[in-house]
Amino acid sequence: MSQTIDPMAAAHMSEVAVSVELQTPGMTLNIGPQHPSTHGVLRLVADLDGERIVNVEPVIGYMHRGYEKLSEVRTYPQITALVNRIDWVSGFANEIPLMVAVERLMEIEVPERAQAIRLILTELARISNHLVFLSSYPLELGAATPLMHALREREHVLELIEGVTGGRFHPNFNRIGGVKPAAGGGSTQKKVAQDLPKGFLAETRAAMDKVVAVCDDMDTLVSGNEIFRARTVGVAIVPADKALAYGVSGPNLRASGVAFDLRKHEDYLPYDQYEFDVVTGENGDCFDRYLVRVEEIRQAARIVMQAIEGIPTGPLQAKVPRVIKVPRGETYVRAENPKGEMGYYLVSDGGRIPYRLKIRSASYSNLSILPWALKGLIIPDIIALLGSLDFVLGDVDR
Amino acid sequence: MTTSPPDDPAGVGEQEPTTDTTAELAARAAESAGAESWSADFGSAKIKVSPSSWVEAVRSVRDELGLPFFSFLSAIDWSNEVAVGEPLEETVEERYEVLVRLSSDRTSDGVTVSTNIPKDDARLPTLVDVFGGANWHEREAAEMFGIEFVGHPNLTKLYLTDEFEGYPLRKTFPLLSREIKPWPGMVDVEDMPSTENAEGAAAASVAPPGDVQEQAMPQGDTTKGDEDGVEGADA
Repeated sequence: MSQTIDPMAAAHMSEVAVSVELQTPGMTLNIGPQHPSTHGVLRLVADLDGERIVNVEPVIGYMHRGYEKLSEVRTYPQITALVNRIDWVSGFANEIPLMVAVERLMEIEVPERAQAIRLILTELARISNHLVFLSSYPLELGAATPLMHALREREHVLELIEGVTGGRFHPNFNRIGGVKPAAGGGSTQKKVAQDLPKGFLAETRAAMDKVVAVCDDMDTLVSGNEIFRARTVGVAIVPADKALAYGVSGPNLRASGVAFDLRKHEDYLPYDQYEFDVVTGENGDCFDRYLVRVEEIRQAARIVMQAIEGIPTGPLQAKVPRVIKVPRGETYVRAENPKGEMGYYLVSDGGRIPYRLKIRSASYSNLSILPWALKGLIIPDIIALLGSLDFVLGDVDR
Repeated sequence: MTTSPPDDPAGVGEQEPTTDTTAELAARAAESAGAESWSADFGSAKIKVSPSSWVEAVRSVRDELGLPFFSFLSAIDWSNEVAVGEPLEETVEERYEVLVRLSSDRTSDGVTVSTNIPKDDARLPTLVDVFGGANWHEREAAEMFGIEFVGHPNLTKLYLTDEFEGYPLRKTFPLLSREIKPWPGMVDVEDMPSTENAEGAAAASVAPPGDVQEQAMPQGDTTKGDEDGVEGADA
C-alpha cells in the first residue's frame, strides 16, 4: 500500500523532497477487549493504512450469557430478574416490553396507577442512562469535569428509583399485571395503595430541577467547547437510510433526522396523556447524537413531572391467576428504551414457560453499523463514534 | 425539534381499531409479497412466505409498504423433542421458522415476514443485500440454530468461540449446567401444586403475582429477596 506523503510534513522533513512516495504497509491494530471506551468488553480489530481505517471488525460475545436459552427453562415471573441485566444502565426499562408482551397474550388490563408508575420509572431510567452518557462521553474525549456534574445528579435519580423499587440498578419491580408494592408497603390492599414513598413528589421535583440544571451546565461546559466540537462535529455521519437499514434506533436514529419515537407510536404505556417533543438532529454526526440526548433529558424530566402530578389512584395489580400460564400465541412488543428499540418476540405454547423468547436489544443493532460507519475515518474517530452510540455490552451480547 | 406526527395511534382506541389496522396491514403485506398466509393475532402482523421467494418477499414488503426499518432477524426451532423446557402440547411439523421484523419509520406499522425451512436442508438466501443490518443477525441465527445463509459475506461465529460445537438455541441442545445440577428454581416450573390449594412453601417461593403477595411478604420483605434466594441456592 502506498501513500503520497503530506506536503506539509514533507516540507518539514526536508525542503527539497516534496513528492516522495513512501511505502506504508497496512497494519492491524487490536483495541480492547479491555479498554475504557468500549463500555465493557468489546474488541475491535482495525485494519489501518497509516492512520486511516480500512476496515474494522468488532469482536463481541465476551458478555454472552445466553438469556434466550435461559428463558426457555424459567417461568415468566422469573424471567424479569434476567432481563434487568440486559442493559444494566437502564434496568427498569428492560422489564416493560416483556411484561406488556405477557399481558397482551393473557389479555390482562393493567391498572392506570401501575401504568403511571411504570412510565415514571422508565423515564427516570432514561434520565439516569443519558446522564451516564453525558458523564462518560466527554471523558472519553478528554474532558473530565462534566463527569462530576452528571454523576452527582444521577445519584439523585437513582435514589428516587431506589426509594420506590428498593434497587438502584436491578429493580425487578414489575409483576405481570402491574407493579410490586413499594418497599415498606403493607400487606393489605389499603396500605398498598400508598405505594410511592412519602415525599416522593417533592423529592422528584427537586431532582428534576437539578437534572435540568445539569443539562444547562452541559450546554455551557461541553456543547460549545471547541475541542469537543472539533472531535465530534461532522465526524462519523450516519445518514438516515443507512441507520434504518442497520436497525439503528433510539437517539442514534433521531440524531440522523428521523423523527421516530416509539413513545409516540406504540401504546405500551400511556405516553399519549403527556406532552413532550421528539428530539431530532440534522446531520447524524457524533455531535448531534450528543445533543439529542441532552435535550431528551429535559423532555423526560418534563414527562416525569406531568405524570407524577396527575398520577391516578387505584390498585397496583390487576387480578391475575396465581400460576402464570400464557395462552398459546405469539406477539412482538417493543418499547422506546433509553438506548433504542427494545423488543421481545414471545412464542407461548400455553404453558408456564415460554417456548421461545427472542430478545431484540437496541445496542446490538446500533453497534452493527460500526464497520460501515468507521470506514475511511481516523483512529481517534473510533473513540468518538463508540462513545456517541451509547451502547452497553450487556445489551449487545445478551 | 419536531413534535409527534398527527396519525398517533396510541390512545385512539383500545382493542378494535388496532386489531383492524393490524389485520389490514397484514393483508396488504401478504398481497405485495405473494404470501401463503397471514395473521394479525395479539397486535402483531405476520405473513408467511415460501423460502424460494424469501428475498423478493422481504424486499417488496419493505418497498411497497414503506417499512425501511430492520428490527431483527431470528428463528424458532419447532421441535417435538426438547432437551430443555416444556415440550409442545401438540405434534408439529419439524422445521425451523425464520422471522424478520420490518417496521415503519413514521407510523406504528410493523410486519413479521416468516418462512419455514426443513431441518435436513436448513438453508436460506441471505438478506444482506436488502438490509445491511441482517449481517450480524444472520450470523447469530447461523451459529445458534445451524441455518446456512447462502451468499452471506462472512458467516463466521459471532458470540461463540470458533471451537464451539453444536447449536445452542436448538431445542435438542441441552443446557449443560442444568444437566449436572438441577436448577433450584425448577420447583417453580415443575412441581407446582394445583392452582386451588397452592399454600405454603411452594406458593411463597414463586415471584408473587397478585394475591400471593400477602403470603410472600413475611418470607422476605426486602425487594432483593427473590434474587438473593436464587443466587444463594446456586452457590
